Amino acid sequence: MTRIDSHLHVFAKVSPEFPRETTSVCPADREETAEKLLGEMEANGIDQAMLVQIGGDSIEHHAYLLHCLKTYPDRFLGIGLIPPDLSEPEAHMDTLTDGTGMIGFRLSSVGGPRDPFDQIKVKEIKTYRVWKHAAERDYVLWLYPRAVDAHLLPYLMETFPQVRVVLNHLGLCPGKGKFSWDAKGRPRIETAEYNPAFHTTHRLACFENVMVHVSGQYAFSNEAYPYPDLDRWHQRLLDHYGAKRLMWATDFPWILEDPGYGQLTNIIDRLLPDLPKGEYDDIMGENAKRFLRFPDRL
Amino acid sequence: MIRPTAAQTAQWEEKGYLVFENAIPADELKRLQTVFDHWAEKCKPAWLDRVEAGEAAASFYDIPDPFDKDEIFVDLIDHPSYYGSLMAFTDDELILLGPQVRTVPPGPVCYTGWHPDVPHSNPLHIKVQIYVNDVDPKAGEFAYVPGSHKPNAGPYSKAQRLEAMPGHKRFPGKAGTAIMFNSYGWHTAMDNPTDTPRKSLILIYEKRVPERVDPKRFASIAHLCTTSERRKLFSLEE
Repeated sequence: MTRIDSHLHVFAKVSPEFPRETTSVCPADREETAEKLLGEMEANGIDQAMLVQIGGDSIEHHAYLLHCLKTYPDRFLGIGLIPPDLSEPEAHMDTLTDGTGMIGFRLSSVGGPRDPFDQIKVKEIKTYRVWKHAAERDYVLWLYPRAVDAHLLPYLMETFPQVRVVLNHLGLCPGKGKFSWDAKGRPRIETAEYNPAFHTTHRLACFENVMVHVSGQYAFSNEAYPYPDLDRWHQRLLDHYGAKRLMWATDFPWILEDPGYGQLTNIIDRLLPDLPKGEYDDIMGENAKRFLRFPDRL
Repeated sequence: MIRPTAAQTAQWEEKGYLVFENAIPADELKRLQTVFDHWAEKCKPAWLDRVEAGEAAASFYDIPDPFDKDEIFVDLIDHPSYYGSLMAFTDDELILLGPQVRTVPPGPVCYTGWHPDVPHSNPLHIKVQIYVNDVDPKAGEFAYVPGSHKPNAGPYSKAQRLEAMPGHKRFPGKAGTAIMFNSYGWHTAMDNPTDTPRKSLILIYEKRVPERVDPKRFASIAHLCTTSERRKLFSLEE
């Protein structure tokens, strides 16, 4: 069975070859390389992974990700970023995907009316052209939408049902002002006790081309690994999407210190302990291989 | 108190629902609509802020603490149009769990899918949904699977396309219509691709068991509960 880590990040130290933006958790001299990742994967029996761009959204900022895809074409696929103010995103999308192993783009903002009672005109949604081009070119859209955008997604999915969509991190939509970095250098998202996603992104299961990442637990949970306070969220996702539409991921490198890469390779066993083996294999990699079209390993 | 007819009782037992057309008379309905719209408008900015903060879903909107906002919401709890049926079906041991004064924005995907509210191990659980505006067919109307409230019914699955649920019945209706249903049964709001939001009240009741009686739950409206019967209904006395 193929094991695929379907969402994580790698980056190099800042250099002329690999320029990127810096932040307090990703200073210029920090690196979390593909080789370090491959070491963790090898040690834990993980075959392939989806590299998701961080460190900037310009073409140049993607240099390290593209380098990794070129160096390890049978191990990685990639997801890029699009500058949010790009009025004509098509060329940017095509450049990054042209024979590179990059298959789609991550969006954290959808861009439309804040009020769900406003009339929603799909063509006026800011990312409409991104969705349209993704539909035309079969690009995957990787969504970690803001809470304020959650009501716009059904309109776009209804308009472009052929677009493959992956909802990141349990389908959760972070609220304004609820993001921070914890003491271990991990993203932290303060979430409501009753998860609003139950009534927004979880309802998107009616669209056949929507998958959900089973990942990011550390950022939402108020308990230590294996995050037992989130077992209900996992069971709801399984109930609504089914085992064929969930994909496991670690969100490397944020989890290296706590709980550790190896621990996260067991998270599905811990939070969905009653899965039949076939469904477990689906979530741990077979779904990602099929839906994201990972190549066979050489 | 208007008790259900034999035909209504038979339908309740067999199908799990009753529909009370014109349950809210015209003059009362007009006042309800005015009060509903007033408070919905007034409370909306705070809800939008909560949506943006990730604390509330964007797919429906409840007026918070409606009993503290207007007495009409209290008077709907034991409204004569359906109160006698509620009492009859709970052997006169009825308590209120709470009201939801809810607006659902239109959109391609409704905020909820097919589900029962409680398992059969729970005391009998009944909801009354009252339409505040006209709810046309295929405009977010309530829907129910008749007979699905029975212990041996089903199995049912969470049909991802709501219209794919076998045997379901939709309940479009005029403003003032009340739909009472046994919430062991599978139900949902349907998708609403129109431009019209659905406005309704969802009143949640249960058959009284001692452990569900919480005198603090509605203590803020004790002054409106001047009869023993109402005080029992609102859990203000044993």
